[in-house]
Amino acid sequence: MTYAYIGKDRRRVEDPRLLVGRGGYIADLRLPGMLHAAILRSPVPHARIRSVDATEALRLPGVVAVLTGEDCKAKLNPCMNFGPATIAQYPLAVDKVRYVGEAVAAVVAENRYLAEDGVDLLEVDYETLPPVTDPMAAMEPESALLHEEHGSNIGYERTFEFGDVNAAFAGADLVVEDTLHWGRSAGVPMETTGAVAQPGFNGVLEIYCNSLNFSYFSFLIAATLRIPSNKLTMKPVPAGGSFGSKLAAHKVPTLAGFLALQVGRPVSYVEDRLDNLMNSDHHGCDRFYEARMGFRADGTITGLDIDVVDDYGAYMQFGVGHHGNAFSQVVGPYRFRDVRYRIRAVLTDKCQQGAYRGFGSEVHNWVLERLVDQGAARLGLAPEEIRRCNFIQPDQFPYTIPGGNLYDSGDYPAVLDKALSMIDLNKWRAEQKRLREEEGRHIGIGLATTQERSVFSSTEFWSMVEKPVLPVTSSPESATVTIDPTGQFQLLLHCQSMWGNSPETVGATVLAEEFGIPPESVNVRYADSAHALPSTGPGGSRYTVMVAGAIRGASRKLRKKLIDIAAHTLEEAPEDLELVDARVQVRDAPETGLTLAELAATAYFFALSLPEGMTSGLEESYTYDHPYTTLPAPDGSDFGVFYPIMGHACHIVVLEVDPDTGIPSFLDYVAVHDAGTIVNPRSLGGHVTGGATQGIGTTLYEELAYDEDGQFQSSTFRDYLIPTANEAPAFRIGHVQTPSPFTEYGIKGGGEGGRMVAPAAVSAAIDDALREYGMRVRRLPVKPADIVATVRAGRSAEGAV
Amino acid sequence: MKPPPFTYCDPESVDEAVALKSEYGSDSLVLAGGQSLLPMLNMRLARPEVLIDINKIGDLQRIERWDDILEVGAGVRQYELEDHQLVGELVPLLPEATGYIGHIECRHRGTVGGSLAHAHSAAELPCTAVALDATVVVRGPSGIRTIEARDFFQGRMTTALEPEEVLVAVRYPVTPQAAGHGFVEVARRAGDFALAGAAAVVNLGEDGCFTSVSVGVSSISDTPVRASAVESALIGEAPTENNIARAAEEIVPSVTAADDLHATHDYRRHLASVVVRRAITAAVARAHERRNGT
Repeated sequence: MTYAYIGKDRRRVEDPRLLVGRGGYIADLRLPGMLHAAILRSPVPHARIRSVDATEALRLPGVVAVLTGEDCKAKLNPCMNFGPATIAQYPLAVDKVRYVGEAVAAVVAENRYLAEDGVDLLEVDYETLPPVTDPMAAMEPESALLHEEHGSNIGYERTFEFGDVNAAFAGADLVVEDTLHWGRSAGVPMETTGAVAQPGFNGVLEIYCNSLNFSYFSFLIAATLRIPSNKLTMKPVPAGGSFGSKLAAHKVPTLAGFLALQVGRPVSYVEDRLDNLMNSDHHGCDRFYEARMGFRADGTITGLDIDVVDDYGAYMQFGVGHHGNAFSQVVGPYRFRDVRYRIRAVLTDKCQQGAYRGFGSEVHNWVLERLVDQGAARLGLAPEEIRRCNFIQPDQFPYTIPGGNLYDSGDYPAVLDKALSMIDLNKWRAEQKRLREEEGRHIGIGLATTQERSVFSSTEFWSMVEKPVLPVTSSPESATVTIDPTGQFQLLLHCQSMWGNSPETVGATVLAEEFGIPPESVNVRYADSAHALPSTGPGGSRYTVMVAGAIRGASRKLRKKLIDIAAHTLEEAPEDLELVDARVQVRDAPETGLTLAELAATAYFFALSLPEGMTSGLEESYTYDHPYTTLPAPDGSDFGVFYPIMGHACHIVVLEVDPDTGIPSFLDYVAVHDAGTIVNPRSLGGHVTGGATQGIGTTLYEELAYDEDGQFQSSTFRDYLIPTANEAPAFRIGHVQTPSPFTEYGIKGGGEGGRMVAPAAVSAAIDDALREYGMRVRRLPVKPADIVATVRAGRSAEGAV
Repeated sequence: MKPPPFTYCDPESVDEAVALKSEYGSDSLVLAGGQSLLPMLNMRLARPEVLIDINKIGDLQRIERWDDILEVGAGVRQYELEDHQLVGELVPLLPEATGYIGHIECRHRGTVGGSLAHAHSAAELPCTAVALDATVVVRGPSGIRTIEARDFFQGRMTTALEPEEVLVAVRYPVTPQAAGHGFVEVARRAGDFALAGAAAVVNLGEDGCFTSVSVGVSSISDTPVRASAVESALIGEAPTENNIARAAEEIVPSVTAADDLHATHDYRRHLASVVVRRAITAAVARAHERRNGT
């Protein structure tokens, strides 16, 4: 299928205003009489709050109010929470603090400077408790408890088994095992989360916010604030990046709303970098694995056995949805059928996990690929060979995996072939040998693949829970398309979707495809929650697929109306007309027709010229439901179909490691992705580049570290190292397009694959570079000191021989 | 991340600045390029009552040659060390080392005096000052005082500067024409704080052996370190790979930095010898180039 606009490389329509500083970000929003809030962050990891003395702060001229956890307890309900109800949380810590950086009190003042001066004057009496930092120790009965009401530091524990894992291992010729640790990193967008709340007319609280899929979640914010949901209007403000972290950063708008209600004036609370790094509620996964994989001698994988301890931090807002997510692609692109997966989610004195590009699947893929690479090395197979011999084949789709999810379509050998065609591995392998022998230089080649599940269904949030509180099954997306009286297009989106991705480019491209108009001519707007139709917003690489479905649905209705008006005007049968290049014309006599502007004028101003029964105007809305979700089995034997729109990717990395300094540098990087039908190769390429760079960050640089006393060590960009253009390789990107049979146009999501596969590919390349020293990347981020320690140990072992 | 209240002064002469410093002493801090001070203010790690902004003082922004001395005013922006012809000709180590300071934007704001006064052990200018036997010029109420760079850096971000004094310039001896220089720094990302760095200047005699070796090392201790043991191990020796590698090991006992998020103590001990070896090797190569007129 070829399209006129879809699939063509074109500039993003969002860019011009962003490039000239007209993004309209939250920190630029000024309302008359607006106050500013600053937060007192806990300096201790675990303590009971005996008292907060605000006397001095309140004496400071310009300070208007100080609110604490006591106020939250008295006036709020607990925050939205998809985890155990016994692990409640509020925007300000109630009774106890449970990590360094947790918000203890908010000071509202005439400006942010004074608010921070006020914070300085607060005196808190903490009764310190033993810090709980090591998740293994946290599970021991003698450990201090984070949540007394929960009764244990284990937030969730369950083992799932699909197939017969013992038999699979018994039948294996080789079983590899590994102990792996995926360290904590986070989305860390350039713009932090912020909200401005104002008590508006008619008792409506208005909250401008750059976070939160409000159409999905705002009733929960209203519930926390104890106001009727129709008295809360969430107003979307574009965000300077999310990467998942703005999916449901609910405490910031909740707090701004609470403060505004308390002081009766507009209040702005915008996280600063310290707030965001230590208190974002969106740290990424922090997992410790004992993992095993069985192989037959020919490389065929027989089974997978995983025991994972996930250090969730102090709360569990999304439950263990991150593991449900991993189950969507638990076998990767491979055919094996036997899987055991034990999860223990542990509570510690750290910021809680949220969403970060991959939502747990990226971690699982790293583990899977680490095991596959180990199997390949021990069986003497090249990384591409072992993968090829295990791939699900193109004629096997739709393919149901262990656990019940379904892969819609794919051609994994084609993706691998495309990647291999873009790089001469034989040449690199010869060069690797030559450099090692002649110059003592160490280059490594890594190859990894990933599944890229896209278009989440809401069952993921609860299917692993025995008695789910909110077993929702809807995750729709809506769009409203308006053709104005002169034939110009307005597109109204019904969620907070401007997060640094390309919702407007996607929307404009789909409208161009449907109506033959220039995409740049479309004006895109965002509804607030008082006007929005059901929508779920970006997350789980769903937005492009879902909004395209919604826009196409609305477009179909509009196209029919246009054709009916034209048929009536031209006195032709509707079936003899077609819409081509912004004009409705007679199929067999294209010179006869009416432009969209002519038809629009009729629709708006000439009711007597409309077909009988038709009403004026040209506006249609459409709500597109998830294309393919089925219910999970209540007993955990099957999660149902919940993430069936399945992409795939293969990355090949060539890098050099300086064995004396442990510093890696990239020599080449090929990334081939299959995200179904591509809407715009340029914006998809941006996702691949950004995602892979974040994957490199997690692998080599980024670390949200707590020391053993629970002190946070990564509170500034001096210590939290995000790769920049200096560190990122010049990615060479290729595409394969296997359309989805279930979505409009066959589009699949493509927002996360880069981060899902880069860690595995880069880890493999580092291993390969230093294979003679027994290097195996088992803990992320892998730091120069780790690499040098391995090299030196390897060299002394050689010396000893 | 907003600073606490402070009084702001922006004197237009060194005399005025010194007078303010004399008046407020340790309650005041000097603001130059702000690359370190402003984050510290915004995070409320520094809480001066008075901020003395020296950016209006033209006298501090000169680069001049006096005989065999290159004098660089404290207010000179770091990028000028990279761009200024005189600096490249007279002390070629400086432009090379300066390129490692943060990113280009930081170097256009950051000043030479600011980096020296901040005295971070990972910083490039303190390290090169120590390696080059530079002299720091300060002015207080009783006039000018000069301090050898190796005495100036006294401890973790502390210097010999008295509370009532202002750092006004740094004097670098002009590097001999035949000398070779090298600067090597290892950081996790481009522009990050050094995990370790080394600055070296060497002279080779007629016989090709070392007649002088000066090495400064950053980020291994509380202050920049002058690698005296390395230097003496090389004087009179031939600049062979083995000799340099063996001598570079002499830096290891000077490594006192404890484990941090980015490097372990053991790694730094190893890395210190690597950067010293590489810096000396680069310096030797340059000395050979100079001799051969290439």
